[in-house]
Amino acid sequence: MKKQIKLAVTLLMVTPLVLLTSCGGDDPIEEPMEEVVEEVVEETNEEYYQIPSPDEMFGFIKESGLKFNGELLNDIQSSTSYTEPTKQAMNFGVYSADLAYTAAYEEFNETTKYFGTVQKMAEPIGISAAFDKTLIERAQSNLDNADSLVAITNTSYFSVVDYLDQNEQGDKLGIIAASGWLETVYIVANTANYDSDKLAVDRLADQRLTLDNLLDYFTKYEDKEETKEMMGWLRELEVVFAQKEVAEENSGSGISLKKKDNGKMVLGSSSEDKTSISKEQFNAIKDKVNEIRNKIISTEEA
Amino acid sequence: MKFISKIILIAVIVISPMASYGQYCNYFHTKYCNPSENDMFKLNGQSKSALFAKGQTSELNIIVYKGQDYRISLCMDENLGAQIQFKVYETKKVKVEKVYETKTTEDEFKPCGDCNGEGTMDGETCYSCEGEGQTATGETIEVVDKETKIVTEKRKELLYDNSQDGFSTEIEFTVESTRRITVEVTIPNGGGSGKSKGKMMKSSDMGCVGLLVEHMTTPISGFKGTGF
Repeated sequence: MKKQIKLAVTLLMVTPLVLLTSCGGDDPIEEPMEEVVEEVVEETNEEYYQIPSPDEMFGFIKESGLKFNGELLNDIQSSTSYTEPTKQAMNFGVYSADLAYTAAYEEFNETTKYFGTVQKMAEPIGISAAFDKTLIERAQSNLDNADSLVAITNTSYFSVVDYLDQNEQGDKLGIIAASGWLETVYIVANTANYDSDKLAVDRLADQRLTLDNLLDYFTKYEDKEETKEMMGWLRELEVVFAQKEVAEENSGSGISLKKKDNGKMVLGSSSEDKTSISKEQFNAIKDKVNEIRNKIISTEEA
Repeated sequence: MKFISKIILIAVIVISPMASYGQYCNYFHTKYCNPSENDMFKLNGQSKSALFAKGQTSELNIIVYKGQDYRISLCMDENLGAQIQFKVYETKKVKVEKVYETKTTEDEFKPCGDCNGEGTMDGETCYSCEGEGQTATGETIEVVDKETKIVTEKRKELLYDNSQDGFSTEIEFTVESTRRITVEVTIPNGGGSGKSKGKMMKSSDMGCVGLLVEHMTTPISGFKGTGF
């Protein structure tokens, strides 16, 4: 008991000192205060692995001419069927990607529904704080403005990412980002025609690099029970992508970042760009992604 | 008991603002990094802000896609100094052959022609033969087994170093082939004793760094696709 009192009193005495130092400012009189309080900081070299948000992919495939296919969206009716926490996080990622897909293609009615679903799902996952009142009001008043809607859906996605990041829930963030990424790959693989949509097929082939980033991201959380299932699926997918990797390595990249004659910097390769994949590989990736996606969206009753 | 509860409650109220110190860098890149004047550039979700200490190096691994232009800009708290170094590498996983050596200790044997696995020898001190014509010398030797395995290694190739570009805090480029790149940010040490783990840091030695990534579809130049 005495120990508890001592601790509380000590905290009360020390805290104002710490708070004073974090105020900072230009006044030179405050300088000595900064010198008094010290904090122990681990000067480690941090490595961060970022995953492109779904809007980047959908913006690209829309520009490359791929048509919207509403049948590929995960039914919003299923959202209440996901009761297990990991499954909820996974499908939050799926619905977030679907939201970005509908917003990119200006499917306003669908966007409204998916925004509501994502917002509702945020609550049981414990991330409803990421959807503040202003954001919801902005979304409601811009439902017929394509540019604003894309911006708002992005803001909500980035807000979730930041919230989880700042609250040290990296494992949950990884599950959401990976599921969202898988949904974008699923949509592209099932919309693109191998023979006529070369740009989209190339973009699909490039996803092996994003997969590398995802797997590296997850290494920090590989001991967590919640991430094991997702990591297993991603590794299965890595095997399907791997064949291409060997073929590319043999060619050597010769990559450079140089200024061209017009003064523009270009990140390019001296060797021929060999990003495309064979039809067999395209189908193999598509099959594997469909298989994983079906597992993610399956409801507990199924 | 009530007294303790009160003290704890007051402590929580006073301490709670401290928790926000850790979140001080939240959204730093969107608040303080100047976006491109070109309206075509959009905020990229791979942007990141973090709390840095002087002398610290951190890496941000991002994907840049073919057919897109990217702009990466850096902003930081003033106390970290103006000459923050940032380098861009290509990160690649490559499969390489690696030879693994396993060392074990085994009994030494030597040829023992006359014993032929049955008897003893005196002249060459062979007493108990094993196998065909081999006898233990009583000594041990170190045996090295070599096994070749194909392993995946991460390799980095330097593409850009801002110290060679007047410590520029932004870079804009067109991507001709999709790559996984690493942006490495190093905060100068400020005359300290170099990198050390668990060093006592003053709060003035820490600050936020934001890395704003923007992207747009590479504009097509010239009279392409007019159809005439």
